[in-house]
Amino acid sequence: MKYNLEVSRSLLTLCSFVALQAICLPSAVAQPLEIYQKTVQPFLSKNCSTCHNDKQKIANLSFDPFRDPAFALQQKDAWGNILDKLITAKMPPPGTPQPSRTDVAAVTKWIENVLGTSNKQAALNPGSVTARRLNRVEYNNTIRDLLGVAVRPADEFPVDDSGYGFDNIGDVLTVSPMLMEKYMTAAASVSRLAIFGEPLPAKPTRLARLLNRRSPDANDVLNKGNYFPYSIRGAMYGNWVFPVDAEYEFRLRVANFRPDKAADRRTKKQNREPTAVGEQKGAELQAFLEAARKAAPPRQVVLSVDGQTVLTDVVEGTAAFGYQRGEFIARVHVKAGERKLRASFPELADLGDPRQNINPDMRRQLFVDYLEIVGPFKPSLEPSDSYKKVFICQHAHGKHQPQCARRIVENLTQRAYRRSVTRQEVESKLALVTMAQKDGDSFEEGIRLALEAILASPNFLFRTEVPQTLKNASEKSAYRVSEFELASRLSYFLWSSMPDQQLLTLAANKSLRSPGVLEKQVRRMLVDPKANNLVDNFAAQWLQLRNLGRTKPDPARFPTLDDELLDAMRRETSLFVGTVIREDRSILDFIDAPFTFLNGPLARHYGIAGVDGEAFRRVSLDGEQRSGLLTQGAILTVSSYPTRTSPPVRGKWVLENMMGTAPPPPPPEVPVLDESKMATTMSMRERLEQHRKDPSCAPCHNAMDPIGFGLERYDAVGAYRTHEGKLPIDSSGILPDGKSFQGVKDLKVILKSQSATFTRNLTEKLMTFALGRGLERYDRSVVDQISQQAAQNNFKFSTLVLGIVNSQPFQMRSGDGEK
Amino acid sequence: MTQPLSRRTLLRGIGTALALPLLDSMRAVAKTKSPTRVAFVYFPNGVQVPSWVPQTQGQIADLPMSLPRVLEPLAAYRKDISVLAGLTVNGGRALGDGPGDHGRAGASYLTGIHPKKTFGKDLQAGVSVDQYMAQKIGGQTRFASLELGCEEGIQGGNCDNGYSCAYSNSISWRTPTTPNPPEVRPRAVFERLFGGGELDADPIRRARQQRYKKSVLDSVLEDARLLQGKLGSTDRRKLDEYLYAIRDIETRIERAEKQPPQSAPPIDRPAASIPEDYQEHTHLMFDLMTVAFQTDSTRVATFLMAIEQSNRAYREIGIPDSHHGLTHHGGDKEKIEKCIRINRYQMEQFAYFLGKLKATPDGDGTLFDHMMITYGSGLGDGHEHDNLPTVLTGGGNGLFKHGRHIKYKPETPLANLHVVMMDRMGIPAESFADSKGKLDYLGDLT
Repeated sequence: MKYNLEVSRSLLTLCSFVALQAICLPSAVAQPLEIYQKTVQPFLSKNCSTCHNDKQKIANLSFDPFRDPAFALQQKDAWGNILDKLITAKMPPPGTPQPSRTDVAAVTKWIENVLGTSNKQAALNPGSVTARRLNRVEYNNTIRDLLGVAVRPADEFPVDDSGYGFDNIGDVLTVSPMLMEKYMTAAASVSRLAIFGEPLPAKPTRLARLLNRRSPDANDVLNKGNYFPYSIRGAMYGNWVFPVDAEYEFRLRVANFRPDKAADRRTKKQNREPTAVGEQKGAELQAFLEAARKAAPPRQVVLSVDGQTVLTDVVEGTAAFGYQRGEFIARVHVKAGERKLRASFPELADLGDPRQNINPDMRRQLFVDYLEIVGPFKPSLEPSDSYKKVFICQHAHGKHQPQCARRIVENLTQRAYRRSVTRQEVESKLALVTMAQKDGDSFEEGIRLALEAILASPNFLFRTEVPQTLKNASEKSAYRVSEFELASRLSYFLWSSMPDQQLLTLAANKSLRSPGVLEKQVRRMLVDPKANNLVDNFAAQWLQLRNLGRTKPDPARFPTLDDELLDAMRRETSLFVGTVIREDRSILDFIDAPFTFLNGPLARHYGIAGVDGEAFRRVSLDGEQRSGLLTQGAILTVSSYPTRTSPPVRGKWVLENMMGTAPPPPPPEVPVLDESKMATTMSMRERLEQHRKDPSCAPCHNAMDPIGFGLERYDAVGAYRTHEGKLPIDSSGILPDGKSFQGVKDLKVILKSQSATFTRNLTEKLMTFALGRGLERYDRSVVDQISQQAAQNNFKFSTLVLGIVNSQPFQMRSGDGEK
Repeated sequence: MTQPLSRRTLLRGIGTALALPLLDSMRAVAKTKSPTRVAFVYFPNGVQVPSWVPQTQGQIADLPMSLPRVLEPLAAYRKDISVLAGLTVNGGRALGDGPGDHGRAGASYLTGIHPKKTFGKDLQAGVSVDQYMAQKIGGQTRFASLELGCEEGIQGGNCDNGYSCAYSNSISWRTPTTPNPPEVRPRAVFERLFGGGELDADPIRRARQQRYKKSVLDSVLEDARLLQGKLGSTDRRKLDEYLYAIRDIETRIERAEKQPPQSAPPIDRPAASIPEDYQEHTHLMFDLMTVAFQTDSTRVATFLMAIEQSNRAYREIGIPDSHHGLTHHGGDKEKIEKCIRINRYQMEQFAYFLGKLKATPDGDGTLFDHMMITYGSGLGDGHEHDNLPTVLTGGGNGLFKHGRHIKYKPETPLANLHVVMMDRMGIPAESFADSKGKLDYLGDLT
């Protein structure tokens, strides 16, 4: 495009010396220039240059160089942004003198014309995605789906860099020598695990003692063992990998600390021996026992594996104002793999204030001390899932036929490389099997070695798309990606993992693009449990949920907030987003929906009555102060400081993530909000109003702050409040376009009325994630089209997904340039 | 352990008794058998000048008895440190690119290069000085370099006003487009240094395993070459990274074969989890860095006390606020005080490291004697890029004169120091990045 422009310009220069201008100049070139000088430039000078000049350079933009029309015409990216700002009336900032509608229309028409030319060229440009190495999540998922092993080797890999808000961007994902080392180590250990299974003890032994954290403070963390999140309610939960299908014995130990006050009331002797109650008589004894019973009522204790209760018992109170310290034992059959374990006291979920389980000395009254896992008893002698996935000839261990080697290796390479493989590729890995056997190793060890090499191969680690017509590779021609490549694009988009057998078979038969097949596959994939990766990867990054808990809320200010509650918030938002996807609801539900998912503790945190117990359930929000993402704890917490809320931060969060209209960063000279100079009696609102008096702060803060004010009735951890300290909270605001609102409900109505902006933003984010590249100007028309389709289909989530899957950028790629 | 290149070895090697001129590369190691090692320790978010700068007169002065608050934890080592003032990294400045001082500070600190403002593709900084050294001398040890840190990098693309998180997550850059992210997990560092115990003790089986490893590498190299032939230019560049990394592993295996087997690691295998307590975490990481030098597994390391623009809260010392948030203090005394306490707390951990090095015997002295260490930040007071807080320490094999506060002319490039350090490592260089000569007054090389 740049090239074309250069040509036009030289043409222009040439023509100005030629008399036959009318013939020489194509009107498309002549017109923009004339209109620019006549209409656009005066418009800029009058309405924009006051702030965007070389001196002030607000938002890093100056229109001074735009006085040179040749320069101006080249700035297509800038024009794209200017167009956005004019269309959405964000610039000039509301409250400043506004240009007439006809003037704006003339300018936007001109810009569309200038950009429109390039949009037509863009129609042929689906863009090009750089070879993507699997990121950590994709690596773990792919290993799981390829081999059926329950390990997560990539947890040991360094954090993936992200670009454009996502960590699956090919250009940004690099391979450092350290990462390669880890790939090699993982290839060796995963192949060993897949072929030989977890090394099992000869007889049942204690496999683990799982511990939890003892306090919210970091200082006393037990780093010598497995430790799980801190729970004020004394629960312990986390994941553990069971090595084999077998029976396991769980030994659950409960511990308690007596409240100091109660201990004070008793004599030393009584403390030593609870039976000392015998010395008391009559009413005194009755009262004593009653007090002890109240201080330590019997509590149910429950242990569950993947949500299935495997142990229930009751911890009795003692006359010593505490609990018996007991060990509870259950022996149950567990299938191999990673399982969720949870040991807890369900009644504590319904405490009005969880701190009822905290003694004045900050120790918990009742808590799970540890959970031991002993086993395996009667381990299954059946070959493991992974063994079956590898040794597809189904011969018994040690009885493999030599000709199986080829079948096994061919199957493994095909699935690992996610495509058909050449004879040469199979031979090169088969050679390793032969080598190992010649060296005196077993057939299995040979296959393991081949698998190790497959897992370290760039064909496995990278998702490459091979240019189809090598002859034309030097031309920037566009072509459809192969069916295998399309299958991978689909599965890594919706599942963050490799294509399953169905997709690979369709691709092999070249029927993935047959009429109706793609849509059917997309719908199948969206209801598959693996689609939860859209929540964990796409949504968690879109909504910045991965930052939740990175800087933990201050426990001194928010004493009822523990790891468990943060996890509950995460869970709420995950379940909510997952439901919108699975039920194919309107994406406007993200702004405002009459339901959410809560359990007892989270409902209490929110002040919503009628939800008890530990289990999450769908809850109607009729008549509640909440609905949609913006009033969910996870979002409210992640957009706050650890100690307090910040209306500008929340406002920016909404603009950036929901509407895609993030204000630019503050100009370098702008002073930070100087809170020390402000009276402490001022509310946050008043302090920010002072800040906005500075004209260089106003344009952005006028857009951010009011939205944040609308959310001020939720504190920095998402609890509802009506006052901040002694000052009542005013949650009204006036947006830059003059619309005013009284509270969050009104605010959501306004946001919903901007459904086009919201939809466009979500489409852009989802498409960035789907393609693994940043969007370019030439993608604009595709995004527009998909957003419009969504609007015509009740904003159903699937219309976005299908729109993207069927779009040119997803189906095609353009040549990669010179070879 | 590799022997340092001494004149005698060289002479024996060529089987002659000719007197050779003292080669430049041998100069640094001529007096002693112990090689010089180098570590760059980085802390984020800058310092408050008054809490850092010692009160001294004149351009060069002995460090006073009472050090400013942030330097105070180093009081015991007063005679072993130099406080260097006035150094600048110009590449960290906006230079027309607007806000983003943190991203630029991290990326320019050791590269001296003004990084390209981008939060997506086309990352562009420069080769950092540690990597430049590693590429020259890394071949002598099992690991060309180590990159360690105490805070996991941030994901999210745009970390600082349009600068990719990669810029603030790493200070080490192998190439202008490839950052070396630091490892923050103690267990992972240990296993990298001393292996996960997967190799067999039986020498025959061990040899076979090594052979297999090489066959696997050969096999995937072949895959990579085949694939490379099919791809377009951008994708080929990605595959180049892969090829480089594979070759790096190959050379390391070859090198390891020539060396006697590792004796028992001088440190226990750390727990799998990362300690949440900052002190515990930093100490463990410093311990690991120490044993890496001690066993001559590497001679070059970088260490991030926390990532640039770190939002870490230091509850360990009763500070629940985000560190970065606090540095935008707007003159608030309470916030400034908290910033100082965080800087000081980090310095306490660094002091632990120095103590550890001094207690570790090495050759004819201690590890400390044979090290060059900088402790500093790419940000000064506020979000400035000049007068960067810099401490130079380590005996440098007797080549530094410490115990002084040296004030350099404003705008003296930090890279001038890096040129001197390269020189002391036996890597002759006239310039690095934006250097303008070599930093003076650091000691006499005679």
